[in-house]
Amino acid sequence: MDIVPLDCLQTGETGRIADIEGCAETVTRLAEIGLRNGALVRMVRTGSPCILALDNQRLSFRPEECTHVFVEVVPALA
Amino acid sequence: MPDVLKVALIGNPNTGKSTLFNALSGLQSRVGNFPGVTVEKKIGRVQWGAATVELIDLPGTYSLAPRSLDEMVSVNVLLGKQADVGTPDAVICIVDASNLERNFYLLSQVLDIGLPTVLVMNMWDVAAERGQKIDVAALEARLGIPVVKCSAHKKTGVSEIQAAVQRAVAGGPRGVTQLFPAVFATETQLLAEKLAGWGHPHVAPYLLERLLLDVGGWLESHFGGQHAHDLFQYLQHARERLAAAGCKVPMIEARTRYAWARETLKGLVVQPANRAVTFSDRIDQWLTHRVVGLVSFFLIMLVVFLSLHTLSPPLQGVLEAGQGWLSSQVASVMGPGPLRSLINDGIIAGVGGVLVFLPQIIFLFLFIALLEDCGYMARAAFLMDKLMTKVGLSGKSFVPLMSSFACAIPGVMAARVIENRRDRMVTILVAPLMSCSARLPVYVLMTETFVPDVSWLGGLVSLKGLTLFFMTFFGAFVAIPVAWILKKTLFRGETPPFVMELPSYKWPSAWIVLRRVYDSAYSFVTRAGTLILAMSILIWAAGYFPGDHQESDRLQAQIEDLEKQPEPPADKLATLSAKQNELSGALLETSLLGRLGHAIEPAVIPLGWDWKIGVGVIASFPAREVIVATMGTIYSLGGDVDERNPDLRNTLKNSKWPDGRPVFTLPVAISIMVFFALCAQCASTLLVIKRETNSWGWALFTFVYMTGLAYVAALLVYQIGSRWA
Repeated sequence: MDIVPLDCLQTGETGRIADIEGCAETVTRLAEIGLRNGALVRMVRTGSPCILALDNQRLSFRPEECTHVFVEVVPALA
Repeated sequence: MPDVLKVALIGNPNTGKSTLFNALSGLQSRVGNFPGVTVEKKIGRVQWGAATVELIDLPGTYSLAPRSLDEMVSVNVLLGKQADVGTPDAVICIVDASNLERNFYLLSQVLDIGLPTVLVMNMWDVAAERGQKIDVAALEARLGIPVVKCSAHKKTGVSEIQAAVQRAVAGGPRGVTQLFPAVFATETQLLAEKLAGWGHPHVAPYLLERLLLDVGGWLESHFGGQHAHDLFQYLQHARERLAAAGCKVPMIEARTRYAWARETLKGLVVQPANRAVTFSDRIDQWLTHRVVGLVSFFLIMLVVFLSLHTLSPPLQGVLEAGQGWLSSQVASVMGPGPLRSLINDGIIAGVGGVLVFLPQIIFLFLFIALLEDCGYMARAAFLMDKLMTKVGLSGKSFVPLMSSFACAIPGVMAARVIENRRDRMVTILVAPLMSCSARLPVYVLMTETFVPDVSWLGGLVSLKGLTLFFMTFFGAFVAIPVAWILKKTLFRGETPPFVMELPSYKWPSAWIVLRRVYDSAYSFVTRAGTLILAMSILIWAAGYFPGDHQESDRLQAQIEDLEKQPEPPADKLATLSAKQNELSGALLETSLLGRLGHAIEPAVIPLGWDWKIGVGVIASFPAREVIVATMGTIYSLGGDVDERNPDLRNTLKNSKWPDGRPVFTLPVAISIMVFFALCAQCASTLLVIKRETNSWGWALFTFVYMTGLAYVAALLVYQIGSRWA
């Protein structure tokens, strides 16, 4: 299984968040809005900021230098 | 059961909380502010059968982990520590039925507080339509609290919520299930003992929990009193002990609460098998598109601004006519004298000066509320984020800055949505640089009178039009380096990541939109209005005293007598009016205001201005919109001129320095416009900044930096321009 930075996901690809690096406050804030280890995210629009689908919500997200989100690419369902 | 049932309403943003609040309170609500903070306090009093209920709407939030005094308010209300609210008897936690897992994060925090709680699953119809099924009875059993399905915008489920709240209250206090591992409970106990030793006995268990969990949170730095430093040290050690026991703070909270959410919902929710592309997704394919999205965005903004400029003037005309009618009524029952002058030139002109902006503000708020409620504003912020990051801000600053193009007051207030303090401060401090509607009259007067009548492309593009356009955006251009410098100096710090929910598109609700417009207009009129009124009276007094107005009043009475005749002798009237205007000009020159103008003349001469312009500028510090009327008074045309008055233009063109040079040249006109574009001539804005930042210091800072900038820029423009011309 590949673990890649979030911005490597292509439009339509899904990933499971493997790790979020950053200061404690930022990581907590992201977790509160739903971006947490284990969450499934689908890339709706790439770029900065990007748009992610997380369950039934859509989030626009732009990480900063100190925040890194890594995802495990989930193979597309046949 | 208590006489008045106090019920707090809490939930994530975009869960339809305002709609539910309106449905539950029957639109009977009072809006105010919690003391000392910028959090809106919305309370509805309503009769639910035999029970009188006070409904407290808390701000939408993803979490109850306070990072600021503002965020502390919700926690205080739920803990019964907010004196002006009292202890709630129950809390309604509203969640989006389509996003239960994330919404349950907040629910688990609310449950930790221990109040009788009702869970409302809103937007049930949308979830059901998507094919989602939830076993409500089983969920109720697992949670041990009433669970109600609801579609607030259709008002279904509202009576069930009322019944559920009464059931929950009747059930009495609820036991709190300890979600965190045992070692955490031990640490909470130890902390309670420690705090009791430092003079804080009986600290609410939820606060103890927060103290341990929130690294760098608000409580950590504001709780300890004289033992603050000891507490800080103690918490660090406690967190180290927790980490050693496998409870790493703060990650433990997200892990524990999401695990609880998953466990609670396990097997009760059936999701549709195929993930449907929703209606919102299809719209977003275009509206968030890199090219199409930006083009649509500019078209929407264009429509908003064009509508503002076409819809407001007729209403403003009506208000001005009403003001004129009122003044003439006063004049018809009262002879000329200080009292009439105070009523007409001080009070009526002052209040009118405020009310005239009401149509603009109402329409702007209407558009903002519509775009906000249908879900577009989040997309606008998304599109603008790229641009805003260039100056160190984020997309969230866009809406406040856009609002400031009509009026900085709502703009500064709209900055509340920015949760990062540094970004919010910078946005508030540069918002008054955006060209508000009150600057337009000065631009029109100066451009129409002094900019040469040149046009190209068969009259499509004119130099005057270009000047107006350029002046409208001049402040925004200046704001770019100002924001950049502020972010590099006073508000330096790491930019937090930008994360923002894009809610599903929906039809805006008329009630929510109208209510928001009404509240904003009401607070504008009361808060800003009272101040401008007081200032107008002060300026009027400074222009009226000291001076012997007997001669002037006698002339005025003569004129009015002549006007009452069936055929007033035109030439005699003209002579008298000219004499009267000359006299009032002379009176103004010897008044306090006129003396002040002469006193500051040395400071304004480098800008190319004479004392009269100086007086106009001084008089417009409380509110820049008074400039044109003041110029009318100073140039002896009476106060009732507007920027399109031909007499005023001719008088300006013909006014001379004592040595015969004309006062107004193109560089002088531009220097005046640049000054007005940048100067902080609006006491209401400064007061709002004081309120929103909770400090006179920042209001003063805004005043000083903007006025300084205005002076230097006007100086440069005139000095360079006059050497050129």
